[in-house]
Amino acid sequence: MSKDMNILVVDDFSTMRRIIKNLLHDLGYAKVSEADDGNTALPMLKGGGFDFLISDWNMPGMSGLELLKQVRADDKLKKMPVLMLTAEAKREQIVEAAQAGVSGYVIKPFTAVTLKEKIDKILATRAAG
Amino acid sequence: MKTVPARWANLAHWIDAMGEAIGRDDESALRAAIARFDEARNGPLLGEIRRVATDLKGALDRFSLDSRLTQLAEREVPDARHRLAHVLKLTDDAAHRTMDLVELCFPLAEETSSSAQKLVAVPRAARSGRAARARTREVNAFLSLAAGNMAQVRNSLSEVLLTQGYQDISGQIIRGVMNLVEELEIALGELMRLASGVAGQPGEEQDEGRNLQGNGHGPAVPGVQAHAAAVSGQQDVDALLAALGM
Repeated sequence: MSKDMNILVVDDFSTMRRIIKNLLHDLGYAKVSEADDGNTALPMLKGGGFDFLISDWNMPGMSGLELLKQVRADDKLKKMPVLMLTAEAKREQIVEAAQAGVSGYVIKPFTAVTLKEKIDKILATRAAG
Repeated sequence: MKTVPARWANLAHWIDAMGEAIGRDDESALRAAIARFDEARNGPLLGEIRRVATDLKGALDRFSLDSRLTQLAEREVPDARHRLAHVLKLTDDAAHRTMDLVELCFPLAEETSSSAQKLVAVPRAARSGRAARARTREVNAFLSLAAGNMAQVRNSLSEVLLTQGYQDISGQIIRGVMNLVEELEIALGELMRLASGVAGQPGEEQDEGRNLQGNGHGPAVPGVQAHAAAVSGQQDVDALLAALGM
């Protein structure tokens, strides 16, 4: 999979979606789709074909945390890697996300290096498991 | 006529009048006596209510004439919201414009960089004479430099792109302030309606935890008390997740 995987980026700010998309392109991931909140993302994910989910937390409509819970509750999607990329920085939130089954957590503002590290780590963990 | 204590004299008088009216079968006199009886009985209470109502009206009139509050509720607060909304649009437009330019630069930088690298290898064919060799060295040196510089330009452009993340952060903060201002406006409006004597429906219960329904608290803002429990950076997040076994 790796560089060939289909990534869905979910963020309500279009500027942030573009930043993430460009960074992913820079890292060699060419297949990147976008959604602006959980309500838009979930049907896309359920439609199949995605290998990796990167989501913001705080969004109108369905939040990233709720999206994560829905993904983990779905038989077909529950094993999908989910990287939370958010400005939400409270300890209890990070714990909450971990308990909900998040695969990685990056707080904004972030660096390209951090994004790469976390994606690589998630993929390595999955390859090992 | 029976003697009655003085404090009941007024009421007793109208009771007698009612009795007499009934005796005469005089309906209009009866009605009049009942009305006077009511008045005599409730007069002091009604008077008190009237006095309180007048006081209240005076207080409310003075309140609604407080022009500063009126101005705040009707003009300044909506203005502040519009300004913030405008800031949001401006920064959004600016961020997109910057990114359009950066995206134009990417392929240019990449093309220049890769072409230069190819040229470094090509001039081998021209190595016939001393001058040609010197020239080749120069060209090679230049091309190596160009390739290196362009690679740096490319990295810088990537950084410029990432820097635009401010828009997401500032936008979230501004949205938070906009919500706050909107709540203030609603509260003030409610107060104004109350003051003008047309008390509206009680405002909807504001759920203090309205953001807790799965949605977040917004970006951590330095110095804001509500964000005291925030982690200080990615290292903190990693440490916390490691402690949770991730």
